[in-house]
Amino acid sequence: MTVKQFFKSNAFKSLAVLIAIVLVAGVLLAICNDIFFVSDEERFARSIAKIYGAEVETQEVALTDEQKSYNNGRVEEAYLVLDDGNYLLHTTGYGGYSGGSGTVTLWVVIGCETSADGMPTLTGIEKVVYDTNDGQTLISNFSNSYYHYFTSQNEAIAAGGYFTAIKNSSDALNNIVAGASQTSNAMVNAVNTALACFRNVISGGQA
Amino acid sequence: MNAKKYGKIAYDGLITNNATFKLVLGTCATLAMSTSAINSFGMGLSVTVVLLLSNVLISLLRKVIPNTVRIPAFVVIIATMVTLLRMVLDKFIPDLYDAMGVFLPLIVVNCVILGRAEAFASKHPVLDSAIDGIATGLGLTFALTFIGIIREFLGSGSFFGIQVMDFKIGFFTNSAGAFFVYGICIALFVFVTNKMEQARRVKKMRTLRMPAGDGPLPPVSETTKEGN
Repeated sequence: MTVKQFFKSNAFKSLAVLIAIVLVAGVLLAICNDIFFVSDEERFARSIAKIYGAEVETQEVALTDEQKSYNNGRVEEAYLVLDDGNYLLHTTGYGGYSGGSGTVTLWVVIGCETSADGMPTLTGIEKVVYDTNDGQTLISNFSNSYYHYFTSQNEAIAAGGYFTAIKNSSDALNNIVAGASQTSNAMVNAVNTALACFRNVISGGQA
Repeated sequence: MNAKKYGKIAYDGLITNNATFKLVLGTCATLAMSTSAINSFGMGLSVTVVLLLSNVLISLLRKVIPNTVRIPAFVVIIATMVTLLRMVLDKFIPDLYDAMGVFLPLIVVNCVILGRAEAFASKHPVLDSAIDGIATGLGLTFALTFIGIIREFLGSGSFFGIQVMDFKIGFFTNSAGAFFVYGICIALFVFVTNKMEQARRVKKMRTLRMPAGDGPLPPVSETTKEGN
């Protein structure tokens, strides 16, 4: 086949059309990405609006990589809410669906009081708000009542308890959605990571 | 003539070839997203938008795209539309974007969209394809929302997120409940559409047999016997 024949062939035409479609699509998406880009600040403002329903003043708590990493989860960011003195933790729980490698990221508001020595003491969980997930196909099975349950066991939490996601358990700190146990596990891990971070780092091991 | 043609395309998309209840396409997303009516409705509308845009684009390019590479070309066009939709939803309706989770990008491989591109848009003009996209999408939206309403009401005691009953039957929020409701809905839909089709055929037959200027029609059974 000569060069001239190649340029006249169906193979060349097919290739050219495919490349043209991909190029046009790429340019279109690049432009749209610029137009519809959601910045980190905008995402944070959205999350705050979802959690508090209004704008609140926050101050980021500086954490080292070591202080952010836990066996079953990771703290993405932690903030002190200046309006009410509570702590807002953005945590990712491991062990979700997708061969155990899926994750769920939540916002957890830790209620606290300041003790006599000036250190924050945990009083319970004020609110848990869903943020994002990775590979959790049954995330829509988690209704508001599931997230509210985390805030209903504050006595046990203040006493040092952690949540579990164990099937057929009647433990009061067990919070599982039947049929979505792996995603429940990641949810619980995210909440427990927030509790562990507060207890071990923010409150200096006092809680 | 055109109105009749467009009416037929729309009727096919909505009823005769309803993607969910008749063709049983896009089942994975249907079962997973129908735990609540609002999520189902959002999913249905998202698929409708992608169907409309991809059908129009594919129809526009149908004479340019060589037959040998039509499937990869369709997939690139559909994926572009889905990515665009993701950006728009993330920017303007983040709650729906979060609720749809992994099923939003998976619209790319939804067989309803690729199926309509291959079976209709690649062979018909733009306006016909646009009507087909809207009708098929709305048919799917109706089906998804219907399943979502039933599952949400029985599984959570609520209607579009508003709590209306105290009872909850957990079975309807899990996978087995989804299959059960889906199966019942398909049976109901097929039963109703078959009855409608039967009634339409009888009416047509009686119209054809009615002599001009004659009195009242004989009962249907007699007409059938005469025909035999």
